[in-house]
Amino acid sequence: MASSGGAVPFWRAAGMTYVRYSNICASLVRQCLKEPYRSESLSREKVHFSVSKWVDGKPEKPVIESLIVALVSLD
Amino acid sequence: MAMASFRREGQRLSSMLYSHSINALKSGVSSQELAPVGARSISTQIVRNRMKSVKNIQKITKAMKMVAASKLRAIQTKAEKSRGLWQPFTALLGDYPSIDVKKNVIVTISSDKGLCGGINSTSVKMSKGFRKLNSGPDKEVKYVVLGEKAKAQLVRDSKKDIEISITELQKNPFNYTQVSVLADDILKNVEYDALRIVFNKFHSVVSFVPTVTTVLSPEVVERESETGGKLGDLDSYEIEGGETKAEVLQNLTEFQFACVLFNACMENACSEQGARMSAMDSSSRNAGEMLDRLTLTYNRTRQASITTELIEIISGASALTG
Repeated sequence: MASSGGAVPFWRAAGMTYVRYSNICASLVRQCLKEPYRSESLSREKVHFSVSKWVDGKPEKPVIESLIVALVSLD
Repeated sequence: MAMASFRREGQRLSSMLYSHSINALKSGVSSQELAPVGARSISTQIVRNRMKSVKNIQKITKAMKMVAASKLRAIQTKAEKSRGLWQPFTALLGDYPSIDVKKNVIVTISSDKGLCGGINSTSVKMSKGFRKLNSGPDKEVKYVVLGEKAKAQLVRDSKKDIEISITELQKNPFNYTQVSVLADDILKNVEYDALRIVFNKFHSVVSFVPTVTTVLSPEVVERESETGGKLGDLDSYEIEGGETKAEVLQNLTEFQFACVLFNACMENACSEQGARMSAMDSSSRNAGEMLDRLTLTYNRTRQASITTELIEIISGASALTG
């Protein structure tokens, strides 16, 4: 799909990075599967980590990112 | 002091004659602590306690080694498969460890748990070395730390340079989604010209090499491609989608960072398990040697105390009769 040079794709205009865009697409594909492959592949989507930004040599309160459900739900 | 030892001798002799039980004697002796002045030898109870604890430690380290070996087997296949994700990127965009840019961000990958040998220290040493290499006027270096162990070490002397620290990565088994969300977070929060990822590459169960991979920001890639070299060939590729080159480069570098980070995390996890295996192996071997030495001491002490009892009895008997 050729777009005129200078026009950005919709997701870039919405502020998403390519990585996030491809993750959402992957999550959609995973939800199209049938059991039992669906639960297997949804288990590969679990995310858990804890981020804390440092300001002036001091850590701020950590933020736990835990996405156990799919990034986009189709219900 | 001498009176005390004579009194003790007298006690021992009398209880020997009346009760005929060596165990009671042993427990009478063992109520003292390690070899105070005037006592004759280390009590066997203490040595026995030490032997018991060393044996427990040996069992635990052996079990940890087995656990690490099984985890290693699981992750190793994943890591080898993940190598295919970033090799095309290196073929396309090249790897430039010696690139000279203003804003360097060093991503150090380490483990959350300890007892894994020296791999975390080597990663931190390498990151510090890189920082020295890249520091200078007009250049700034920041750290992004993954894992508790590197955070603990870097906090000691480079507190001001840490940008983000990320922990609790290993709660779920590794998958691409987790690492890519992480990469997304890092990309959003950190300004960079070049990202250097420091991790331990897994060559085999006994060899883990600290490595550095460089991911450049799209502007720098653009700049480099003007000057030629590998990146200069980028123009000769036909790009589907018809978007501008800068757009494609931006997507590519983001994806490259996510893939490279994924591979680095997997390799580091493999190295961690391998290092833990060898560390636990050597520690159970050391525990075994310690146990041997303690057994010898124990037997020697036991035999010495039995001999002393016999001597006392016989000399006491001969004193009574003769």
